[in-house]
Amino acid sequence: MSNDKKNISRRDFVKGAATGLVAGAFAGMGMYSYSPWAYSRLPKTNRKQQDFGACRSVRVTNISETSWFNNAHLIGDIHEAGGLLVNQYTLNWAPFGNGKGSAKGSYDEGMSTIKDLLPHDLEKAWEIQKKLSLHPDNPGGYSCLLEVEALDGTVHKYLLDTGWSYEWMDNCFKREGIDQMLRDQEIEALFISHEHWDHFWGLPVTMKYDNRIPLYVHDGFYKEGLQYIEDSGYKGELTIADKPVTQIAPGVALLKFDVPIINRVFGETSLAFNIKDKGLVLISGCCHQGILKFADFAYANLKYDNDRFYGIYGGLHISPFEDWDPKYDDLVISLGQWGFERIGCNHCTGHLTAKKFIEAGYPVVRGTARFRSASKDYLGNGDKITFGC
Amino acid sequence: MDNSSVSYLESRKLVKRWNGPIPALVNSVLILAFFYATWWIFQDPRGLMRMYTPYVGYMVCRWLLILFIWVAYIFDFWPFKRSWLNKTHPLIKGSVLTLVSVAAMIILIKGFFVEILGNFGIAYFDPDRLMAMGITDFYSIEYAAEAIMMFAAIASWLSPSWVVACENAPWQKLGQPARGITIVLVTFFFSMIVYFLTMHSHMAILFYPWQKFTAICPPYWEDFANTVSGNFHIAWIMCCTVVVWLYETIWERYPFNLIKHDGLRRTASFFGIIGIAVALCFFLFYAQDLVWGETIRGTRRLMAPDWRWLHVGEMAIFWLVPTLFLSFYCNNWPTKFSRPVNVCIRTLLTAAMAVLVYVVYYKTSHLFLGTQKGFSHPQQFPMIPMIWLINIFLINVWFMDGWPGWKAVPRTEAELEEVREEVVASDVKWTPGIAKGLAIGLAVGALLYFAIINVLPWIGENITIIK
Repeated sequence: MSNDKKNISRRDFVKGAATGLVAGAFAGMGMYSYSPWAYSRLPKTNRKQQDFGACRSVRVTNISETSWFNNAHLIGDIHEAGGLLVNQYTLNWAPFGNGKGSAKGSYDEGMSTIKDLLPHDLEKAWEIQKKLSLHPDNPGGYSCLLEVEALDGTVHKYLLDTGWSYEWMDNCFKREGIDQMLRDQEIEALFISHEHWDHFWGLPVTMKYDNRIPLYVHDGFYKEGLQYIEDSGYKGELTIADKPVTQIAPGVALLKFDVPIINRVFGETSLAFNIKDKGLVLISGCCHQGILKFADFAYANLKYDNDRFYGIYGGLHISPFEDWDPKYDDLVISLGQWGFERIGCNHCTGHLTAKKFIEAGYPVVRGTARFRSASKDYLGNGDKITFGC
Repeated sequence: MDNSSVSYLESRKLVKRWNGPIPALVNSVLILAFFYATWWIFQDPRGLMRMYTPYVGYMVCRWLLILFIWVAYIFDFWPFKRSWLNKTHPLIKGSVLTLVSVAAMIILIKGFFVEILGNFGIAYFDPDRLMAMGITDFYSIEYAAEAIMMFAAIASWLSPSWVVACENAPWQKLGQPARGITIVLVTFFFSMIVYFLTMHSHMAILFYPWQKFTAICPPYWEDFANTVSGNFHIAWIMCCTVVVWLYETIWERYPFNLIKHDGLRRTASFFGIIGIAVALCFFLFYAQDLVWGETIRGTRRLMAPDWRWLHVGEMAIFWLVPTLFLSFYCNNWPTKFSRPVNVCIRTLLTAAMAVLVYVVYYKTSHLFLGTQKGFSHPQQFPMIPMIWLINIFLINVWFMDGWPGWKAVPRTEAELEEVREEVVASDVKWTPGIAKGLAIGLAVGALLYFAIINVLPWIGENITIIK
């Protein structure tokens, strides 16, 4: 064989090999990737089942679920400012209004108008801010009281979130007796689910009554949020949750989720309870991580009685603006398979979602639609739900 | 054959104005500066017009891409005369052609989709109609923009496919504007069919109760895709969009251009692109499951099948950026080996570059694009900045002849003949050596694939891109 022929043969081999390499890789992608064999390779969930104890029951009092009163005003303001990725502190909403209009708000300018009034003169602070902000009557807030009965019968109280409007939240606190509980230091901790306006910006209202209450926030808080804690007059022990699971008390755990959220907020913390002889109860502020991710994380990481999902409460963040997306139907269709026995929902769950849950036959606990809550399809302001006992 | 008998893009040769990498560096700097300035003006959530709401900005990106493809590829710059294209300064040419495209885009979106389709056909194309029925203005505009945008997503696969894979057949001999109008109408018609089959049900689900009498709800793909969301279709359609450009640029239409029979070659190219895209789509979905764990239907964000399907399309777009950059600004490097070897090296190189772009994007985009930190924000679409950047590439190379780093000179007759011959390649012929190499290559390619899927779980466990 001549050298020329050898060279041609070698060159041909390389041409074929180069073509085959790319074709073989794509063939593998197409023929294997979405096949049952590919998925049988995936490891089964390795459950860590951290034992966080048990409690006897948890009772939730809905202090306020109406975070805002008019969807069109809220989403209209966000739209005008430039959409769902605009920094919340620039939206020009109270208490960070500066009078300059849409998207020209500023933490520092807003705060400078009220800083010396926090937390002792919230009426005056809110009046000032109402003049400087967009849609000043729209803010409400999300907050609930959690009363956990320990196995020895003692009751431990916690607050989840502290709402938005100083005016509205103060009235709600008074309506449910939270003001006195805070004054008496009966409430053992305040958990902020995430940095959003409607869960966090009402912080001075809690500070007004107890500025040393142990406070837990997600480690994704921005510098404005951390500064606000200081500017609200907080003098207590701040815990920045930086672990996936933080045990608070027997049967009570704080779970941390690193999840990007609209208007630049990052991260959500939610609560899990192990109710003796019943199972797991999940309670959220907004549940931006998704209720099934929440449940799946708990399944993989926590030990709970009967290995059973028992209940849910909170904003489940599905159609907060009565918007819809096909993926929400994925949840409506799938949720039934997880076997929750009691579903208490409101706030960012959306009326439409609650309606679809009920149509799907899920055990949704209905409400009374009092104190400006808009629907009996879910638990409204002042309503209570008990898990266990 | 002379220059006037081929398209303008084929008739010209782009020649570097300076030696070495200087033209590529100069153009890159200018393009990135233009990208950032226009991003700030039009898209950035912190900028001036803030069109990234996200769907309004997304719709604009997508339709601009289609208009550029129509102007350059389908209409061959008609009604602009070849003499004007040859003589006009690239800056003027780029400005005029871009503004014409923008004007056409506005007429199409406002005139055709919103006013005609939205008022006389399907309500969800017109935000005012949705608002009148009680949906907030924000979601009315977003839903309408999503519907209009998805039409463009489908067209941005079919329009170039008709030129690249089908070689404009059977209208390749028609003059302009007859050929352009015909191909636009035909691809528009096919886009509409694909839209109805893939996205109409998705749009119908947005409105309560599901519009069961006008759309298939729940849709036919539900069990296969593990979601009712149309994001499943976005995945493979976006992969088609990317593969058609891989095929045209770094693959030089190889290997389907080895087929001599016109009809067979065109059919094989068109469906071959779809086949390769579906393979890529399945792999990118599986890759996410290997890194992040298997999806959970009904959950949100990172774990949701609907988001993972969407992210397939997003990952594919990350591959398109280095692919076009290599082709446009690096003279499709390398070119010194045989065509199959060049294609193989470029494929591996651009895939590696795509991974790099992906990592850099997620590490930094929240700092300089005004987007949110994290992979799976529901209102964040990396496709928007990637397509915005690609649009700027196209303006620069198609409308401005690569100015300032390059200038257009007419191709010689011999060069034109080479271009024509590229349609049917003759440099690879079946031999025993090829067959042996192919068999070994297929095995190595399959091994490479299995090596990658074996290393992905380790990457998921040990590498954190965003803290």
